[in-house]
Amino acid sequence: MTVDKHSTVGLILPALIALPPLIGLGYAVTASLGLVGVAPGGSTSRYLREVIANHTTWAALGWTLWITIASTFLATLAAVFLAATFRAESKADRFGRIVAVLPLPVPHVVAALSSLLILGQSGLLARVAHSAGIISTPAQMPPLVYDRLGVGLIFALVWKEIPFLALIAFTVLKNRGGMLEETARSLGANGIHTFFYATWPVLWRGMLPGIVAVATFVAGSYETAALLAPSRPLALPLLTMERYTATAMDLRPGAFVLAGFTLLLSLAAVAAYGATIGRTDRLQ
Amino acid sequence: MRTTPIRWQSSLLLVLVLWTALPISVLVISSIGSGWFYPHLVPTSWSTAAWSELVSDRRLSRSLLTSLWLASLTGGIASIVGFEIGRRVSRTPVPLRYFALAAAFLPVAAPPLALGIGLQYFVLRAGLGGTLTGVWLAHSAVAIGYTTLYFIGVFAVFDRRVEEEARSLGASPLATLARVTLPLHRRQLAEALLLGFLVSWAQVPLTLLIGQGAVESLATSVMSYVHAGQDHLASVAGLLLALPGLVLMGVVGSSIRRFAVATV
Repeated sequence: MTVDKHSTVGLILPALIALPPLIGLGYAVTASLGLVGVAPGGSTSRYLREVIANHTTWAALGWTLWITIASTFLATLAAVFLAATFRAESKADRFGRIVAVLPLPVPHVVAALSSLLILGQSGLLARVAHSAGIISTPAQMPPLVYDRLGVGLIFALVWKEIPFLALIAFTVLKNRGGMLEETARSLGANGIHTFFYATWPVLWRGMLPGIVAVATFVAGSYETAALLAPSRPLALPLLTMERYTATAMDLRPGAFVLAGFTLLLSLAAVAAYGATIGRTDRLQ
Repeated sequence: MRTTPIRWQSSLLLVLVLWTALPISVLVISSIGSGWFYPHLVPTSWSTAAWSELVSDRRLSRSLLTSLWLASLTGGIASIVGFEIGRRVSRTPVPLRYFALAAAFLPVAAPPLALGIGLQYFVLRAGLGGTLTGVWLAHSAVAIGYTTLYFIGVFAVFDRRVEEEARSLGASPLATLARVTLPLHRRQLAEALLLGFLVSWAQVPLTLLIGQGAVESLATSVMSYVHAGQDHLASVAGLLLALPGLVLMGVVGSSIRRFAVATV
């Protein structure tokens, strides 16, 4: 392998764009260890221990994981369903595919705002319930935003992530699904068997990178949680921001620890993806 | 081959249209409806007052201009830098190219809040905290990651023999770049510009952290209006925020896959 001038520049330039996040993340790690930042007091694991011992951290982590898993699972399920339903070349199928991906460029903060207007206690759904005679005052409407289950947040995230996953699913089925399914059918498989033994394995493998991307994004998403999540338990990004912007400066190193946690969650998802793909490759 | 009964598919299509259109329709109604309070299903009257605020409310118009400025500049710099890095990386031999890819992937994969907390240190040290320039640099750090990945893909399938031919006919490297490579990638440069534009346009955590409240974009103003209970203004800001992406989807619909990753 020869490393010429172009190769050297080709390595240096990407390294330069990775530098701000790398040094930034390095700063977050050293600040969480008390080495730099607003409260430098020499190397200490005090902040790390404080964050780990704090019940709020685990509640935030658990709640964020719940939202991540629930919204990613529902969005994946819907995307697979859409891809399996609107896959032919008829006008209706093509229209279905276009409508399914329409919310793709809508920013998350807009999806969160819509969720608030629809699911809030005096929102559109509550008004429909009132018109149907189910409730008479907004207080009778079960809370669907700022709620412990995160229904409003999950709704916004699912609405926003379905198009991305559906787009991948449409592409995967178009490029790789047809021939395997034909073979399965010609061997006598019925519709359900064809789906589970021919369609699903192809879809799953093709969609996995997208699913991982969605999960990591959802885990670190700030704006949707800021508009729709409850104050107890706090979502991990909200807890991080709260500590980081607190007037009590000694809370700030804890924010760096939490930022590291969020990053670890993302890396864990990427590692899980790598391991799954590696395992599948070995099996094949 | 059709496997889904037509009637079932039509019903599903109707549900899908409702599911997709409802959230945006609610924003439209909220932005032009007045007196739209519980328990009214539709507004008691219609008014363009909230949209007029675009002109009369300096805060809303300023945040729109700020977002346009930030997103245009971010898109511009990200498309140029991404183009050059992608071009160089595509000439790097394979094991080293993986390293370059991983480096470009980092600003894309890092959670924005974690990234912003780290970036803020440098921005503050440079005296750019709470300034448009600081926010622009932070947006660019992420957007360049996206456009670099985009151009690595573009140059992976680019036939370099065209450039070699120009060089063999006596063109200098600069002339080859200006007269052959750049004109051949006009469309991709425009798409990368839009990609960078969208990354910046929807950015919230980086704007909040680096802008420190002094820089208000359209995206952060949606949050401010919601917290202030001004739903109709939040809806106007939200619709303005959704508009470029939807227009882009109509204009470059066939290329939407390239933008998908920026809108996950």
